[in-house]
Amino acid sequence: MTAALKLDYPIVQRTLDNGLRVIASPDHGVPSVAVNLWYDVGSRHEEPGRTGFAHLFEHVMFQGSAHVGTAQHIALMQAAGAAVNATTWFDRTNYFQTLPTGGLDLALWLEADRMGTLLDALTQENLDNQREVVKEEKRQRYDNVPYGDVMERLVELTFPADHPYGHTTIGSMEDLNAASLEDVHTFFRTHYTPSNAVLTIAGDVTAEAAFARAETYFGHLPNVPAAPDPATAPLPALTGVPRAETTADVPAEAVYLTWRLPARNHPDFDAVDLAFSVLGQGQTARLHRALVRRLEHAEATGANAMGLIGGTSFGIAYARARDEVSPETLEQDLITEIAQLLEEGPTEIELRRAKAQFERHWLHELARIDSRADALGEYATLEGDPSLINSRIAAVNAVDTDRLVTAARTWLAPEARATLIYRKESA
Amino acid sequence: MTTFPPQPPIGAPGQWSFPLPSTSTLSNGIELLTFDQPGQHVIAAHLVLDLPLGTEPRELEGVATLTARTLDEGTRKHGGEEFAELLETEGAGFGIDLSLSGTQAVLDVPATRLDRALELFAEAVREPALADEDVNRHVTLRLAEIEQSEANSAQLASIAFRRAVFDPESRGARMNGGEPDTVGGITPDEVRAFHARHYGPHGATLILAGDFSSTGDPVALAERCFGDWTNPGQAPVQHLPIGPARRQVQIIHRPGAVQADIRLGGYAIDRFDPRWPAITVASYAMGGAFLSRLNAVLREDLGYTYGIRLAFSPLRSGGSFAVQGSFRTEVVGDTLHRLHGLLDVSEKPFTNAEVADAVTYFTGVSPLRYATADGVADQAATHVLAGLPHTYVDSNLDALRAVTPDDATTAYAELVDLNALTLVVVGDADLLAEPIRAAGHPDLEVIVRD
Repeated sequence: MTAALKLDYPIVQRTLDNGLRVIASPDHGVPSVAVNLWYDVGSRHEEPGRTGFAHLFEHVMFQGSAHVGTAQHIALMQAAGAAVNATTWFDRTNYFQTLPTGGLDLALWLEADRMGTLLDALTQENLDNQREVVKEEKRQRYDNVPYGDVMERLVELTFPADHPYGHTTIGSMEDLNAASLEDVHTFFRTHYTPSNAVLTIAGDVTAEAAFARAETYFGHLPNVPAAPDPATAPLPALTGVPRAETTADVPAEAVYLTWRLPARNHPDFDAVDLAFSVLGQGQTARLHRALVRRLEHAEATGANAMGLIGGTSFGIAYARARDEVSPETLEQDLITEIAQLLEEGPTEIELRRAKAQFERHWLHELARIDSRADALGEYATLEGDPSLINSRIAAVNAVDTDRLVTAARTWLAPEARATLIYRKESA
Repeated sequence: MTTFPPQPPIGAPGQWSFPLPSTSTLSNGIELLTFDQPGQHVIAAHLVLDLPLGTEPRELEGVATLTARTLDEGTRKHGGEEFAELLETEGAGFGIDLSLSGTQAVLDVPATRLDRALELFAEAVREPALADEDVNRHVTLRLAEIEQSEANSAQLASIAFRRAVFDPESRGARMNGGEPDTVGGITPDEVRAFHARHYGPHGATLILAGDFSSTGDPVALAERCFGDWTNPGQAPVQHLPIGPARRQVQIIHRPGAVQADIRLGGYAIDRFDPRWPAITVASYAMGGAFLSRLNAVLREDLGYTYGIRLAFSPLRSGGSFAVQGSFRTEVVGDTLHRLHGLLDVSEKPFTNAEVADAVTYFTGVSPLRYATADGVADQAATHVLAGLPHTYVDSNLDALRAVTPDDATTAYAELVDLNALTLVVVGDADLLAEPIRAAGHPDLEVIVRD
């Protein structure tokens, strides 16, 4: 087997007096720099009756601050040649811009201004407008798309309703409608503090220059204690095979299986992730070979583990039916393949293949300063150690067949699944 | 009380140029372009074939896609699943891309495994098995894929828009992967015949990009994998022009839809047109930037949409443009009404500030976009497919910097004829037909699909 490349991206860390963690990762390959902020707040931090807040808040963050006009953050950044955006997920909200190095100061100034003074500029009108935009986003990405509600249905099957992962990031429109300006103020004060964020500066700037600028623009913000993460003891495995069915205007019937998995930093997680890869990633994956190629029961299959930090992750295996094949048949096919993997384990070559595919995926992730900065922020925020990006390939390569089998038997048992079925509306 | 530092100025951007390839020619005439990019550990290999979709016989449209999709389903040396197993075990990703300009096979692989992966890549392209059962399965999967596409409002709008904007006699009017009436009848023999007739070294370009410090000489490797490929039967290729259709205004009925997908646009120009730089700037100001004229009003002021954009899509010759977005049903009439005013620049020409912002944006994002092996190889492939020189990115940026507000306004006014726009809406016609007619489209045609 070819030796994997040893990664050595430079990583220098410092914490400002106000608690802001700063990571510098110089790379002078192109005259650009990535400015990336991870806030340790996602949909798992939302209060009951206030779902969708973290994501609504991501929109609000572009509505101006004390010294920046409405929507001027993106406008000023694009006019400086930046690619700029933000995303919200269960565990995080991240904001990022990558631009020619001459715009680094402006990018930091803009991020610091909204971290420090967002509430000075927030108006009812801006909030109302962004609430409408979020509703359009929900219609476009979830309501008006076949299977668009799949994530919502899967988390509802997998987690208790009051669990931090029991609802999706887009949240409920009723909750968004109920959001008052005061709620939004509280959310900001609770979560948008320097000590709850990680600032990563990667690209064409030395570490010392990066830290000096971070101090200039963020150093004067006050130190406010960060909100604790929600208590998230690991959940026990699912029991009794919870089931849900929906009848919808979908082009093909489909079945989804889910499992509760260990948190992303649990020693079993990489092994479980590789098991999902053997089952559902690529053309030689077991589900594709069996259901698409050999049995010709499915038009598509897949499986993947979604790593989360709060005690419990989840994993999905799915298949979309070819005409005349019932979801029950597909469910049985999926279970047969999964049971077989648990019984006999992966072949030596399957495990090698899953690791090789992970290696390419990870090298690709680190190939650009923007995605590298995001990975640094991710590992610093969720696992406390950005240098893990350099050792991920070695960690995954260290999983052997025994570890994979043991972990898969622990976490992926067919009787520990939940099942979601999509049926076609009858014509 | 903390003091905020004042807004800092922007420093001048650093020097940057799109990398120039080392060029050579393999012994069978394949052009080789090599981009050496230290630190890029995932190598990108693109084999670009001079094989546009217009090569497909009308009654076999989809055959090029089926051929390409079956390439990695087994070769004459490594039958069945063995081939994909070998390739994926090298950590490689294999992909294909077919367009009206040509065909590409794409390999991504960690540099440490390039040697073996490129051999396998060549094997898939040169001597695929194209076995009966694999072709037949891909026919079924393609038909299922069409059903999935047509069930998706945005995809259906794009399919309907190309049908409405390009000459119905041309390949451009129909889906790249072929439509059910032709795909359903394609046989394995026809796929094998297509491969035999059209896959060959003539007109082919191989692009390799990445860090080759650990791989050995990429030129020698390319010669070993592709240099002895011959196909005496390879047919000559014609690039047929794709012209415009007559103007159409239509709604495709999607009962109960909570949103409508709008496409409003027409036939347009390619990158060789002298107005290309000016229209690039103009379309960014009108509908490319976050605070573009369209998005600033319809998203940020009114909250009608998650986003609206205007984009020009060039072909090798000719092209199209469209305003596109999804809007909740209740505001579609008002949106179309407002679009007529927003899209009109006769009283509101593009400004110095709009032009300057567009130029700094395009200049600024280029170094990042082309920092990786796949970013460079993909752009180099675009040059080959469109018939552009290797220096195109730099010369285009120079041309953008020379665009004046007058140039942008003039090009826009010439190319966006507000009285000749084709409109496609996908949404609930029961609720939308009247508001659309009232918004200045009395000739609306309602299309009900079975």
